[in-house]
Amino acid sequence: MLKEDNNDNENATTSTAAGIVAGKSSGRSGASKRYRLDITDVANVVLFLAVFVGLWQLLSILEVWPKTLFPSPAAVAISIGELIANNSLAIGIGTTLWRLTAGFAISIAMGGIVGLAMVKFQGFGKTMSSFAVGLLTFPSIAWVPFSILLIGFNDFGILFVVIMASVFSVMISTYSAVRNVPPIYIRASKNMGAHGFALFRHVMIPAATPSLIMGIRQAWSFAWHALIGAEMLITTLYGLGHILAVGREFNDMSQIIAVMITVFVIGLLFDRIIFLRLEEKVRFRWGLNQHAE
Amino acid sequence: MLHMALIETSYINNTNNNNSQQESQEQKKQESLDFIPVVHVKDIYKSFDYKNNKNNSSSSSSTTNHNHVSRQQQQQPLKNPRTSLSTSSHEVLNGVDLKIRKGEFVTIVGPSGCGKSTLLNIIAGLDRPDSGSVLVRGAVASSDASSTKRIMIFQEGALFPWLNVQDNVEFGLKITKMPKETGHRVADKYIEMVGLSKFSESFVYQLSGGMKQRVAIARALAIEPEVLLMDEPFASLDVQTRDLLHEELVGIHKTTGKTILFVTHNINEAILLGDRIIVLSSVLKNIKKEFRIDLPRPRDPESPKLYEIKKQILREFEGDLQIAKRR
Repeated sequence: MLKEDNNDNENATTSTAAGIVAGKSSGRSGASKRYRLDITDVANVVLFLAVFVGLWQLLSILEVWPKTLFPSPAAVAISIGELIANNSLAIGIGTTLWRLTAGFAISIAMGGIVGLAMVKFQGFGKTMSSFAVGLLTFPSIAWVPFSILLIGFNDFGILFVVIMASVFSVMISTYSAVRNVPPIYIRASKNMGAHGFALFRHVMIPAATPSLIMGIRQAWSFAWHALIGAEMLITTLYGLGHILAVGREFNDMSQIIAVMITVFVIGLLFDRIIFLRLEEKVRFRWGLNQHAE
Repeated sequence: MLHMALIETSYINNTNNNNSQQESQEQKKQESLDFIPVVHVKDIYKSFDYKNNKNNSSSSSSTTNHNHVSRQQQQQPLKNPRTSLSTSSHEVLNGVDLKIRKGEFVTIVGPSGCGKSTLLNIIAGLDRPDSGSVLVRGAVASSDASSTKRIMIFQEGALFPWLNVQDNVEFGLKITKMPKETGHRVADKYIEMVGLSKFSESFVYQLSGGMKQRVAIARALAIEPEVLLMDEPFASLDVQTRDLLHEELVGIHKTTGKTILFVTHNINEAILLGDRIIVLSSVLKNIKKEFRIDLPRPRDPESPKLYEIKKQILREFEGDLQIAKRR
């Protein structure tokens, strides 16, 4: 009886072992499949775009609105070509992305440091978190007048708005992510001799990473919204928001739509390529995708 | 009155706990010769304050008995001046004394709420006693740096999901700043010992419950601990996996000669594994009885001697239950 049990048992372990090997390889290939382009996916996107552009073309042929106010897809394409040809689109994208990177980097650094200080000093953490939650819901565009008067019509004025829009999100997510690290990890690593910076570097930060990435993704979208708004209102000579504002002043609807499409594509690329991949990678490593599948 | 009487009997039990006199004499001789215990738990008192939510250790075990214990406290104020007398506090360990020799495999068994996890946490340095001390090789163990030498294996394994098996096992070595290559070699050795060489690149979620505990054992062994503290490590595993891991743990104990302190509520587990079985009482908050088992391992749980011991342990538990009811 006992022997049989043991045999069963061995069989069970080898079979689970095999299952794990199989699961592992299938998991890996599943992950790589996720990033490879699927033909049906591509077909769906193409179909969607075709219908969208078709409807747009139809509306412009019907001339529901005057041609100047509702240009055809072709006119917008020409406008995009012109913007590319005279380099203003490239310079605009470059300037905007530079501002985004700089502002967002400062946000992450400041928000991260203050967030960690909030964990370290509990009293400060409590008051600061309610303050930060208040500022998180504060519309970022409402910082613009303040920024114009205090800093002026320049890059720093725009950066200020971008930072204000995203820093509190980083702060709150750092605070809650680090505070919610399961105590068992901390106890186990302390028992193995980790303390001080090593505990922080090797346990707290990696354990907090999944929620940190989610918070940073949200902060990025806040920063992006604020940036385009601020560029339109705080007029400098460059940037996508500036081209939008110029288009409005010259009644150039096709230029406006061209820039809108650019903004849309940049947002999509950032979210899909950088953040989604980062999140997927972490979730895959932690095995968090198991439930979703 | 009853309380006092109980403590007295406990002392009697403690001194008379050996099965035969000859054995105890032999043991005493040995003690006087080379006996500096690896771990010496000296007169530990501990009570938990329920108003401050400071202690999340063993909360699951203490809450179950909380009701009747608080009633007991209302009727009969605690005699010990060292424990705080606030009504929200509740005594868990009352003067526990325990010596563990090098290479010994000691199991602590007791019903939930008897403070066995708390005792283990205190030995590990994860919790502080109200009074008393833990000596490791004769020196008072600090709760911090030297705690590397008393490594805990938790019921949940507590592996880090952001690291693969190899990196999990290397974690403690990385923390102690061991050179990378040496760490790698040490980790390989112990991963092989627990039979997971094939899975060294796997992530934690890809492992079964039994495998997770094996990784936890390898991770603890890699640090070369003075004593391995195991807090119901196999409680959440199915019976077959548990049997297999018992066998492996016994093998590991044999090959490494590690001192192991193993906490469980499972009497079978305790008598199958331990050289010495310590019965903790939830009424006394202290060690009630000790058994020494010289049978070779692997042991047959059906053997008459083990059966006899099991019956005795059960009797002790029952006695506790009767006293708890009477109060």
